[in-house]
Amino acid sequence: MKTGSWTVGVDVGGTFTDLCAVDQQTGQVALHKVSSTPANPAAAIIAGLEGLAAKICIDLADVSAVAHGTTVATNALIQRRGARVAMVTTRNFRDLVEIGRQIRPRMYDLKADFPMPLAPRELRFEVDERVGPAGEVITPLDMASVDAVIDRLRAEQVEAVAIAFLFAYLNPAHEQAVKARIAAALPGVAISTSSEVQPEFREYERSSTTLLNAYLQPTFSTYMTTLKDEVAARSPGATLGVNQSNGGLMSVDTARDFPIRTALSGPAAGAMGAIHTARASGLSSIITFDVGGTSADVALIRDLQVKLSFDRDVAGFPVRMPMVDINTVGAGGGSIAWQDRDGLLKVGPASAGAQPGPACYGRGGTEPTVTDANVVLGRLSTRGLLGGTMSLDTDASFRVVGEMAAQLGLSVEQVARGILEIMSANMVRAIRAISVERGHDPRDFVLMPFGGAGPLHAEGCARALGIGQILIPLLPGILCAQGLLVSDRSESFVRSKRIAAREENAGALAEMVSAMQVEAEDWWAREDIDPADRKVQLAADMRYASQNYELQITLDALPDIATLKQMFFAAHAQAYGFFNPDDPVDVVALRLTALGTRPALQTPAQSGTATAAPQPRSHRPVWFYGVTPITAPVYDRADFAAGTTLTGPAVIDQFDATLLLFPGDTARVDDALNILIQRGNLDL
Amino acid sequence: MSATVDPITIEIVTSAFRSVVDETFIALMKSAYSTNIKERHDHSTAICDRDGRLIVQAEMSLPIHIASMTGLMETLLAKYRLDEIHEGDVFVANDPHVAGGTHLPDINYAAPLFLEGELVGFICNIAHHADIGGMVPGSMAGGMSEIYQEGLRIPLVRLFRKGELQQDIMDLFLLNARIPDERRGDHFAQIAACKLGVRRVAEIGTRYPLPLIREVWDELIRRTHDRMRAAITAVPDGVYAFEDVMDDDGLGTTNIPLKLKITVAGDRVVFDLRGSAPQVRGNINLPLNATKAAVAYALRTLLDPEIANNQGIIDCCEIVADPGSIVNCQAPAPVAQRLNTSQRLVDVIIGAFAPAIPGRVVGAANGANTTAVFSGIDPRNGQPYLYFETLGGGFGGRDDRDGKDGVQVHITNTSNLPIEAIETEYPLRVVSYGFIEDSGGAGQYRGGAGLRRVIQPVGHDCTFNGAGERFTNAPWGIFGAGPGGTGRFVLTGPAGETVLEVKPSAVAVPEGSSVTVETPGSGGYGPAEDRSAGAVAGDARSGKFSDGFLRRNYPAQMTAQKTPRTEPA
Repeated sequence: MKTGSWTVGVDVGGTFTDLCAVDQQTGQVALHKVSSTPANPAAAIIAGLEGLAAKICIDLADVSAVAHGTTVATNALIQRRGARVAMVTTRNFRDLVEIGRQIRPRMYDLKADFPMPLAPRELRFEVDERVGPAGEVITPLDMASVDAVIDRLRAEQVEAVAIAFLFAYLNPAHEQAVKARIAAALPGVAISTSSEVQPEFREYERSSTTLLNAYLQPTFSTYMTTLKDEVAARSPGATLGVNQSNGGLMSVDTARDFPIRTALSGPAAGAMGAIHTARASGLSSIITFDVGGTSADVALIRDLQVKLSFDRDVAGFPVRMPMVDINTVGAGGGSIAWQDRDGLLKVGPASAGAQPGPACYGRGGTEPTVTDANVVLGRLSTRGLLGGTMSLDTDASFRVVGEMAAQLGLSVEQVARGILEIMSANMVRAIRAISVERGHDPRDFVLMPFGGAGPLHAEGCARALGIGQILIPLLPGILCAQGLLVSDRSESFVRSKRIAAREENAGALAEMVSAMQVEAEDWWAREDIDPADRKVQLAADMRYASQNYELQITLDALPDIATLKQMFFAAHAQAYGFFNPDDPVDVVALRLTALGTRPALQTPAQSGTATAAPQPRSHRPVWFYGVTPITAPVYDRADFAAGTTLTGPAVIDQFDATLLLFPGDTARVDDALNILIQRGNLDL
Repeated sequence: MSATVDPITIEIVTSAFRSVVDETFIALMKSAYSTNIKERHDHSTAICDRDGRLIVQAEMSLPIHIASMTGLMETLLAKYRLDEIHEGDVFVANDPHVAGGTHLPDINYAAPLFLEGELVGFICNIAHHADIGGMVPGSMAGGMSEIYQEGLRIPLVRLFRKGELQQDIMDLFLLNARIPDERRGDHFAQIAACKLGVRRVAEIGTRYPLPLIREVWDELIRRTHDRMRAAITAVPDGVYAFEDVMDDDGLGTTNIPLKLKITVAGDRVVFDLRGSAPQVRGNINLPLNATKAAVAYALRTLLDPEIANNQGIIDCCEIVADPGSIVNCQAPAPVAQRLNTSQRLVDVIIGAFAPAIPGRVVGAANGANTTAVFSGIDPRNGQPYLYFETLGGGFGGRDDRDGKDGVQVHITNTSNLPIEAIETEYPLRVVSYGFIEDSGGAGQYRGGAGLRRVIQPVGHDCTFNGAGERFTNAPWGIFGAGPGGTGRFVLTGPAGETVLEVKPSAVAVPEGSSVTVETPGSGGYGPAEDRSAGAVAGDARSGKFSDGFLRRNYPAQMTAQKTPRTEPA
């Protein structure tokens, strides 16, 4: 055994904490799953690490890196367990963060409101200062007004402060000065400034993001310290990285300052895992869908890259940050089927969650769920979930779906299939939103399901979208943890300033890039990243001068202006179907991401039972397309060697997922041990 | 047709059509040139069947647009026999008096859908163009007294014949609008959205047989209709009357009454608006279709917010309104600012329903679509500019919670423009933006506050145009609650403050002066004495209310308070 050769990815979810470890020298992979401990998430991580070490007989001292995907920040937001937070704004603008965009979340609902800001009005304070649209100071910062605010902050015993001034993204001097003054007067109070959290145009979204960040800082900082100490005590040589919403890792120190960057930590890791899986199977364009208990996340990956989006709601609050472009829909295994007042059958968004869970969990669930429908159709393994460690009450599923069938005057199987088709229709709408509506034809993509329930629903979605191929990863239930192992360390830099795309501005653009390059060098040095692993990505946000929303253009290096405009035209044609070569074009932001790359993972070794001609472990009746069940062979995925081929109908069980091969489908296990399904009945 | 299709199939097939209208909605939003469409989403998409019945509407569609679409359908089907409509045709209209529209900037498009060679319905979209010609830029200002002044009137025309663009018609459209390049972009976005919808529906046609689709549409409407009828049945039978007045038509008529008598009998409800004012000279008149849109919005919102938007609801809206009245205006009545009246009509419907369904109604909202327009020559580049915005205000108190401060209400839901966008694009400075003290009506659940925004020109003189409502008639509280604050426009210069008219036009704003826009607040819900002491203490802490206001409206609660209130920094 070599010292420091193991890297561990730890993904903390709502129900389970997944661990995936790889020995960078031998390629050996190990998995472990423990129950999450929401009250103290670090406990499950430590228990998981110790359990994993015991399972594969290694010493935790041999762990060189731990990469962590976390929901701590998101949960703290949802449950409002953050700090007592105050806000400091430009004079006359403390209401800005409460007014937001002056809209209602639902047009026809008189009671639906967006949530109130986390800093109530009496904790939002104003100081005398004003910066203008060219970054010029209109009203100098009045320190006396700052000191008056500091007195109030002290009296109110706030734990965190968000500072957000107008146009601070162009001129951060006032925010910085106020931060320094507060830090000197009130040590121990966490401080976020909008110019550091996300220095970009649009004051409401920037202020909201900054306020959320400040609200999370104290809680997250405590968590990070605990985790860092616990890991250091067991694995003194290990670096700890925290996954960000853009799919790259940050250091613990950065995470302490910017907890809001973890809002999409887990799903971003899933996207990284999916990219790794696609690359290993020689594919480049895939649509992923990760089906959990209450929701499904879908993402589009093209040329082995996932697009970033910058605006998203987190717990009802707008957040502006680079985040993987994931669309979430309330459709999961626990989604409840119900009859609306007009008699139509609906599925979700209400979910039975983990408690009570679907009826078949036997924990008191009395409403039919998607999982119950799968049980009725024989699609879920009768030996239960998680390799048989969790048994299923199939009678309960028949009972609850049967009650609905009686009301509708249909057979229990018809209703079960109806539930699954409506579930597919809901997911298909989410997939269309990230594909068709952005100028991509889903038929040009391979569908990649993951998460415990993903593979069960792949065929229904592929059929509705006309997708011909489905790729099922070797470890669909643990892809997020695996993604953490392949995530690069990263730090994003941005310059947000509207500049016309004209020759005379080429110099200004180049200067912005070099300034960010200097910051990247600093970051690499600070993070001690090996020069061989250093890489940068560059992008420009561009739009027509008359437009309000930007397109992001990925660049290798800053090209000349003419080329830059051509790239914008191509992107505009792709997104909107047309471009106008004569209209003036603006660059509104330049973005540079510094990376510390990580070595690629090797393909895990096959299990001892693997063979190219596996035999079914059993047979069972399964309802596929027809009105009667088909007796299908049931295989264990561990028995599949690379090169195995199979024709449907068949069921493939594995530790935490069930795969279905429909009649007419063919499957082939590739060298990376992923399964590529070629759908047979494309017209159905 | 017999109801044999099962509820699972209805849901799945309908879901496919919902995808089409949502996709065309996004496509139109992204490819349009007008800020109004791109940023403020003032557009809608829908599918109607060949009888003109509304089948599905995009989720983000605006209530005011529903009736325009069915209005266009009625016009189209009255003008052409089905065998005169061909694949590749595209129909266009905007006129409120002869083509089912509600005001001229909203341009309606419809393209026929053919499956198996048969006309089955239409894909429709509607978008608010930033200008449609007429006497003022933007085609929306007050002060216009005839529809001819408000812009180009388009009766139903066939812009595409069997796939071929009638260029002469398009040329006519463009010659009559300011900034024709931008208009062309918006028209092409609407055309592209039609073509996309035609293609997507054809794809659905390959998956489901036509008879099934027809049956699903019939059943969908029938089930929605039955569901709405059931919701009406749950309202106690009776006659419910209410009345309110509009401030001002901008051309000299003030305190314009809107009268409503609702009769609920079993599963029917009739909205009798007779007795409302005759149509007025100023452009706040409602075409009957706009009245219908307000009624449909109120029915859905008050009785069953989750119900699907289709013909099943519209068929429940029985309206009696005198032709030539403000709620059923006749040519050549001007209508551009009709939204203010629609908002007030919704308040009136809510006020009437209050005794029947007390748990579902709310205090009167800001009842307006407060419009502020700044224009001038940008000293930075010598180019003319026009900054147009509508501001939200108070939303009324509810039966279990306070109203909402500073938000768009009822049938509009358009965003504000970021301050950093305003100041970057226009030579204007936003001096302040916040809630107005004491503007939320007192009550067990208080009304929401209005907004104040102060704007000044930078380095030049500019011009201000505005349209307000509830500047003189305050938004009322409900069940004993107090009224919200009124709005106003104020010009502040070196010489002091001048309160402007309710619908001021062409006000000179010299450099060094500023315009204050104050929008109305809203009424509360329930008597002020029932407000909890904790909630009153919260009002004090937040600084949204003055000490004097609180002592006046909540004397008992204020006396009970022991801790002195703290002043904000």
